[in-house]
Amino acid sequence: MLTIENLRKYGANVDEGLQRCVNNEQLYLTLVNRFLDQNAFPDLKTAILDRDLEKAFHISHSLKGVIGNLSLSPLYDIIYQMTELLRNRTEMDYSDYIQRYEMSYSLLAALR
Amino acid sequence: MDKNKRKILIVEDEFVNREILKNILKDDYEIFEAGDGETALELLNSKKNSLSLILLDLFLPKLSGLEILNTIQSNTELNNIPVIVLTSDKELEVQCLQYGASDFISKPYPDSSIIKARINRVVELFEDRQTIKSTERDALTRLYTKEYFYKYVADEDKLNPNINMDAIAVGIRSFHAIKERFGSSFSDSLLIRFSKRIKKLMPNIFGMVCHLEADTFIIYSRHVDDYESLLKELSIDIFVDKEKKTPIKVQMGIYQNVDKNIDIDVRFDRAKTALNKIRDSVVKNYFIFDDKLKEKELFEEELIESFQTAIDEKQFVAFYQPKFNIQGDTPKLVSAEALVRWKHPQKGLISPGIFIPLFEEKGLIQQLDLYVWKEAASQMRKWQEKYHKHVPVSVNVSRIDLFDPTLVETLLDIVKENGLESKDLLLEITESACTSDVNAIIEKTSALREAGFKIEMDDFGTGYSSLSMINKLPLDALKIDMIFIRNAFSSESDNKMIKIIIDIASYLKVPTIAEGVENKEQVAVLKELGCEIIQGYYFSKPVPNEEFVPFLIAE
Repeated sequence: MLTIENLRKYGANVDEGLQRCVNNEQLYLTLVNRFLDQNAFPDLKTAILDRDLEKAFHISHSLKGVIGNLSLSPLYDIIYQMTELLRNRTEMDYSDYIQRYEMSYSLLAALR
Repeated sequence: MDKNKRKILIVEDEFVNREILKNILKDDYEIFEAGDGETALELLNSKKNSLSLILLDLFLPKLSGLEILNTIQSNTELNNIPVIVLTSDKELEVQCLQYGASDFISKPYPDSSIIKARINRVVELFEDRQTIKSTERDALTRLYTKEYFYKYVADEDKLNPNINMDAIAVGIRSFHAIKERFGSSFSDSLLIRFSKRIKKLMPNIFGMVCHLEADTFIIYSRHVDDYESLLKELSIDIFVDKEKKTPIKVQMGIYQNVDKNIDIDVRFDRAKTALNKIRDSVVKNYFIFDDKLKEKELFEEELIESFQTAIDEKQFVAFYQPKFNIQGDTPKLVSAEALVRWKHPQKGLISPGIFIPLFEEKGLIQQLDLYVWKEAASQMRKWQEKYHKHVPVSVNVSRIDLFDPTLVETLLDIVKENGLESKDLLLEITESACTSDVNAIIEKTSALREAGFKIEMDDFGTGYSSLSMINKLPLDALKIDMIFIRNAFSSESDNKMIKIIIDIASYLKVPTIAEGVENKEQVAVLKELGCEIIQGYYFSKPVPNEEFVPFLIAE
């Protein structure tokens, strides 16, 4: 089960995330769960593979906003870098970023 | 739901972000949500009269946030609702300000208490504005009044202390002439049109604007690189005549990259100084306050500081310029004009062209006028005692003097103290003093004449008084401004204006006095045209008393 303690161990900046939720732990956990359910990353991956960097940027940008607001730091570091690269429509091999994101995401999902 | 809660619309496509905001705001506000642009517009239309704030995410599916912002700003029913933009893009923040957003909240969101404070601030500020709107806006143009404008300038400096700002004074060329020609309802509508234009352009330069007076506006904006194109945007498609043939000519004085340690009104004084430098110039349409003007400003400050000492130490000296009647066979001295000079102990002789406009502006002219009246009166007494000569002297009466309730009394005291009669002191009132508050001016002038003083209208033809006003104003002479003399005898030799002025004078049954007459030929023509009295270098420049005495004795 997803708990505040687990999230802290995972590396999330829980204090910051809770602060945004006005210290409502239940809300914070609900929103992290919601983020995991929604998982927009496969769409991002598809867009990158399709070389649709415009679309990829938009997804990445939105994802960054959500992950940032939830203070999921391990994911945020990766998505932040991806967003900046995609903002400039950088043509490159993103597989390293994708792998790192998916791994970090699996770790988080495994907490459930 | 509490009916008294203020309502906020959150436009944000991400559920998580929306929930976070809702949770922060739910206790204080009633929340409406839109997950995409189209839903947002629908809600805006149905709730437009009750919303206190819109929180707008810029990245939305379908309609983008910027498009929504644009729609809000161009809709008069919606553009009074403040918008806070939610964004993680620095570059877009600038663009949003231009589109009229009130503030930003960055992503990831800051501390919830910060979010709450910023939202409360914008909501309150907006409501404050609604309630003070009637007093902080100029009645005609609906732009800020000076008092509020200065307050917002101070706020802006506090918010953005490190951003380079310009203080700009804006004027419309020949506004007085436009007003004279088409009437004040036309000139008012021109001011309104122009105000709307300025206001519309303000977001582009992060500026705010105030209607100062008549056609003078002041702007405080982020530093502008291209003043030419700003001028162009200010003027395009605005005309100063009913047929829409003559485009408006806008002029600007700029104090750029202001020193924020300087008082706000001094900053705008600098902008106005720069504007005045080119006011009504046909060639120049903007001027930047520079070191030269700064020197001038310092110089003027020194003059103002030393004014009281100058009065006390009698550094101001009256010079006299004779006026001759030329209608007889030989010219006959009829009076003199007292003209003030400043013998400054360090700066030497200072021209009245420099210090008189300055003293007028700074409210010192009344004191100087009084000084000259006393000097002239005591000089007349000396002439009478020493040479037994009785020559009246004319002195200047400034517009501000005419509004002094003790004026008649003061002047009567001066002539009495010197054993003179009222008719010995001729009072010159410039035509431009008579362009507004006409009835008060007519009343005061009548009172002066009843007390026995003679009134000469100075600089006639250069002001914008109407003929009907001149008709009502009790006068004893019209002085033709030297510019008409100069023009009449230039290469074009056009003396039509002089003829007209002499015609007006003869209709009013008063003599004309021509100023700035320089040679024999001019005297002959003026005599021919029926001008009675002449003042100018042809007879004498203004001279100190010692040099004037020979004219007295020759009489």
